[in-house]
Formats: sequence, structure tokens, C-alpha cells
Amino acid sequence: MGCQEEPLVKCLFYRVESFARFGSCSHRAKMLSLKDIVPAAQNNISTQFILLEKGRQTTMATPEGQIKTCLALAADETAAVHFQFWGDECDAFEPGDIIRLSNGIFSYNRNNLVLRAGKRGKVEKVGEFTMTFVETPNMSEIRWVPDPNNSKKYMQEAVVSPHSRIFPPKY
Amino acid sequence: MASKLMLIASYEAENQTELALRQAFELLQPKLKPPFSLTIPNQEEYSQLNRAILYGVLCEPLLAKTHIKHLHAIVTDGYGSFVHLLIKVVNELYVKLFDSVKSQLIWVSKEMADVSAVGFGDLLVSLLRQSIGGDFSDGNLWLCYEMLNIFSTKWSSLLEEDPMVLTSALYTYLRLLADHCRSIHNCNPKLEALKRLEIEFCVRVLKEEFHLCLKIGRDLIRVLQDLVHVPEFRAIWKDLILNPGDFKTPGFLDISQLYCTRTPSTYFLLRITPEMETQLRFLLTHVKLGSQKRHQSWFAKKFLCGPERESLISDIVRFICCAHHPPNEIIQSEVIPRWALIGWLLKSCTKYHVEANVKLALFYDWLFFDDKLDNIMNIEPAVLLMVNSIPKYVDMTHTLLEFLFLLVDNYDVDRNDLIVKGVSSSFTMLVRRGVIRSLDVFSACDVVFPILKERLLSLFSDTKAKVHKDLDSSQHPHQFVIRMGLQNSSCMGTQMPSPKGQTVSTGEKGYKKHMEVVYFKLHCGLSKVARKNFGIGHLGNLNELQFPVLNMEMEMHLVVQTCRLHPSDSIKEVH
Repeated sequence: MGCQEEPLVKCLFYRVESFARFGSCSHRAKMLSLKDIVPAAQNNISTQFILLEKGRQTTMATPEGQIKTCLALAADETAAVHFQFWGDECDAFEPGDIIRLSNGIFSYNRNNLVLRAGKRGKVEKVGEFTMTFVETPNMSEIRWVPDPNNSKKYMQEAVVSPHSRIFPPKY
Repeated sequence: MASKLMLIASYEAENQTELALRQAFELLQPKLKPPFSLTIPNQEEYSQLNRAILYGVLCEPLLAKTHIKHLHAIVTDGYGSFVHLLIKVVNELYVKLFDSVKSQLIWVSKEMADVSAVGFGDLLVSLLRQSIGGDFSDGNLWLCYEMLNIFSTKWSSLLEEDPMVLTSALYTYLRLLADHCRSIHNCNPKLEALKRLEIEFCVRVLKEEFHLCLKIGRDLIRVLQDLVHVPEFRAIWKDLILNPGDFKTPGFLDISQLYCTRTPSTYFLLRITPEMETQLRFLLTHVKLGSQKRHQSWFAKKFLCGPERESLISDIVRFICCAHHPPNEIIQSEVIPRWALIGWLLKSCTKYHVEANVKLALFYDWLFFDDKLDNIMNIEPAVLLMVNSIPKYVDMTHTLLEFLFLLVDNYDVDRNDLIVKGVSSSFTMLVRRGVIRSLDVFSACDVVFPILKERLLSLFSDTKAKVHKDLDSSQHPHQFVIRMGLQNSSCMGTQMPSPKGQTVSTGEKGYKKHMEVVYFKLHCGLSKVARKNFGIGHLGNLNELQFPVLNMEMEMHLVVQTCRLHPSDSIKEVH
């Protein structure tokens, strides 16, 4: 999945992360549907989704030390995506929870294209159960390439898999 | 300031209801102690003051009396706004409230009963809805006890101001008692004490205010049935059947009057918490058939997990049949239909007595259906579940039809005509209104057992309908008789077939095999049942399957009660 593009996005990702730490880019962004999210090195994604499934918790080495992470399947009425929980977030949410993400980031992390809160973003439980969803397309299972007209932007090149390959359809 | 009202977990968004109360309290805190202001507040200030006082009452137990005096001084709307806020707190936040806040909630509810506040009946109902069936946790038993205490101590004022609240309490406690009286919990002294009080309360309402109980309608009988093994309720049964005059209700002459009264849907809501109601209604209005599995499993995990929680399923089925009637746009859409959800619930039952209760809940309005009084939407899910199961799950169709005929034959042998009429008018109405094309969907269907098709058609001919009435049960005063319309049951004489490896085939042979499985299942539950009269000759003569029950276990008692259902026989025994 998208190996060639990854270094660029990673690099962008780190640059914006460090910028975000000092600067202030936290204006309230408009709520996006999951089908409209595009990988970018910016903490500007605000959206709401329902958590469908949680994977196993793993620990990851970061500059701040070992940190717990947990990959999950999330979705809204338009699309699904892989969401990555960090630290305490891993135990705070259960399948069926409706989660609001503010100032999140959709980018590559160790070969996985994931949505997450990041250092400047926030996840909050706002409800339970009462949200419909689709499991395809999965935005993390799309191959993205730089837009020829605007090298800072990404566009969809191909569908790698219609459904999550990490959380294959259960039913 | 952190909330003193409820637990807010990390990563949980602010709750707007809680926030509004807390902010009002913070804003007005200096004004909440004497000397109170003498100026008359405007509408907005009045609402804000109500919120602040409520937060104070709930979160400051030591100052609660001062706060309530303040409320008495300023009130201009019969406590309407205050009670409205209280109901909102109960419906939206009860589960998360701190224990001390829950105690204050009970205290302030009593205060509201004392002043006959506008809407205090609704407040008590909203609290009743929080007591959960099949939940034996201390918190839940505490709520059952506290509410019972309110109903007992405020009895006369309730009777005067809002008597129907007593019937809501009766319905709730009869359902709770069905769980609380299960023998496995006999060793819990707290529960034992609570159970005694619950029984006393229910008997009091039934004995002293029966004219009110009549308004509950037929489901009063359905819920009483689960308690016939409790001596106090057995006595009430006896009077219901034999001495209707004992209830000192001049209009009440026969139990069939209750059968013929449709139960108002508010009673079904009583046994479903607001959260459950929200989720069920969401499923039935938004979630598409085919993509409901995750929602179903979340619902089950939250509300049906735990050994005793299954008893809720019959309440949920009554709610779906009688209290959730979707509009045409939903019926014609891809949204999961009611019958499909009920099919899933039925499949989730692991105990036979629960399954029998759920089927009874599904068919209950069929038994007494009157096209002038009853709503076709109450009987629609059962027929659609049967019809739509034919292509892939014909076992479900068979099980349901069998159960329906079992009810027709046995539910109340003394009022069999009424039930035959109810079930046949149900079918007639469902065809006339186009819910099913015609009875051909069953009778012309190859995979439906011929014997069941015959039974179905016989419902519509008077003579045949009464065939099953001729066996006088009084000939077997100490026998519990389950009758099934078997044509030839000789294959069932001696062996106990295993349900393993049974395949469903069509025709009489298939039906026999199927009945063997049914019988096997019944037998498995009847560990202490003697099978004395179980012989080929007997079956040949009577064309019936009989087995007497001498000493049945609790589980089976309930199964049989639900199959056979009318306890008049057992009452005759006692007599």
C-alpha cells in the first residue's frame, strides 16, 4: 500500500506536527464526512463517527517513550476508516460509541494510513448506538498519489480493497 | 467545577442537561441561602432558579431542606417546571448519577408527591422505568425498594391525585416479581424482604383497587400468569376464575372482560428503559435490513447480557408489537422490519421458559383479537415472521404455528370459543387488510407440514374448531395435560429420539420427526416427570399425546404454564 508516497507524507506529517506544537492552527474546522477526508500533514480534520471494532493493543516506541496504541475500525454514513487510539484513549472507548474528533490528522503511520487525534487533536464520546454507517469504501484502503496540479495535495489513485483488510467484514 | 451530580468518564463530552443545571447553580449560588430575595423573578430568572435549586437539592443533601423551602416560596407553576426538570434528569442521566444523588432524587420525589406537584405521577413512572428486570445488583434492588416505599406511604394521596400511577406500579412490580421469585435467588435475605413487600403491595392493589386494575387489560393476566406458583397470587387466580364478585367491582363478572381489553401501550414502556427505547426505535427507523448485525450485538451486550436478563425479551417483544408502530414510509423502506428483529430476539433465547414467554408475548393479542377494538399492527409481526421464515427458516414457521395452535387448544379451555374466534379473526383481518395475500401462503406451501395446514383450515370451520374441546380435563384431576393434534403418534411410544442429526423433511413423516424433537426438548426439561400414561394404545384412542406432570420443577412449571397457561385446572385441584 502506497510505499512510494509514504516518505513524503511522513515528512510533511512531522513538519506540521512540530509546527502545530508551537503555532496555533486550532481554529474550529467544519465537520467532514469520512468520504471527504484526504491524507495530509495537517491537524485539521473534524468529524464524527461510530466505533465498530477495536483491534489488539500494541506498544509503540516514540520520542516520549513507549506508548500504547490500538487500531480500530470506525465509520460514518459515507465511509469507513482505520482509527488509531493512543495511550489512555485505548481503554476509554468501546464498539458502539459515537466519537467526535476535533483537529485530527489522517496520515501514514508505520505503513498504515490512519485517522487519529494527534497531539493537537481531541476525541470525545458524544453518544452511543444511534448512528448508521457503511463499511465500504474504507478510506485507509485507498491508494493515494500526489495531485499533478498541486504537489501538496493528494488524490485517490485506486481502491486497494473495498473493505478493511485488517477488520474483514464479520457479517 | 467538576460535576457533583454524575460521573463523567474521561473522554466523555459534556452533557448539556447536566451543564445547564450546574451553570445555573454556579451563577445563583449566592442567592440560594437565606435571606431569600423578595423580588418576583421574570420567566427566564424563574427557570434558572428552578435549575439552580434542583442542582442544590440533588448535590447538597445537608442543605436540601433549605433549598426545598426556597422552592416552596418562589413556586408559581404548581412545581411543573421543577418536576419537568426532574423527569429529564431521571430519563437522561439516572444510570450515571452518584448514589447520594439518587437518594436525593427519591427524597425530592416524595416531597413532590406531598405537594401534589403537577406531573408528579409522570415522575414516579419515569423512576419505575429505571428499575430493570433481571438485574439483581444492589443498586437496582435499592431502587425497587425505595419506589415501593413511596407507593406504600403515599398510597392515599396517590389514589386521590393520580390513581392510574398505582396500576403502573402494579404492572412493574408484577413483572419484577416474576424475576424476584425465581428460586435460585432464595438465599438472598435482602431480596427475600423486598419480595415480601412487593407481594404485599401487588395484592393490596389487586384486592382493594381492582376497578383500576381492569384498565390494564389483558396483559394483567399475562403477567399474573408467571406468578401463579406464589401462594398469594394463586389465591387471586382462584378468585379471578371462581369468585369474580370478591373483587367488589360491580362491572366485573368474568376474566374474559380482561381478555377483551387491549392493554394501553404505556404499560409496555414501563419495562423498557428510555435508553433501550431509544435504541430499539433507532433500529426500527434507521438501520437497514442486512446491516443490522453490529447494532443488534451492541444492544444485546448492553441490555441482554447476564443470566437473568433474558426475561426482558418478552417485554421487548410486547413493546415492539404494541408500542412501536412504524408509518408506511418506514414499512415500505429497506429499514429492518419489526418481525425480523423479533425473529432475532426469539433466536437469542437460551431458556425454554423464556422462549415460551416470548412466543406468548408475540401472539397474545391474537388470542383475543377483535377487529373493532384491536389494532392490526399488534398482530402483524407474528404473521410476517411466520411467512417470511418459510423460504429459509421453515422451522421457525413450524414452531410458531405449533405454539399458536397449542395456545388455541390449551390457553383457557373454558373460554376456548373466545380464543378460536380471536385467532381466526386475526387471520381474516390480516388477509383482508393485505398483510398476507391469503391463507394460501401457508396452506398451498409445500414445505409447511400438512398437519399444521389442516389445523389452520380447521380454525375456520366451527365443528372442527371444537374437536379439541371434547377431552374433559376433569377426568384427570391431578394430571397436567399437554395436547397436540397429532394424527398418528405411534412412533413416539417408547424411544427418546435425539434431536441431533434430525433433518426437516416435508409431509407427515417430517412432522412426526419434528414433533419428536419438540417432545425431546420438553422431556429434557421434565426431569421429575412421570410418563405413566404414555402409551400407544392411549394415543391411538384419544388421538392425543398426553403426559402427566406429577411434580414439576420450576423451569418446567413455567414452560407448561405458558403452553397450557390457564391455571384454572390447578386451581380446581386445590379446590
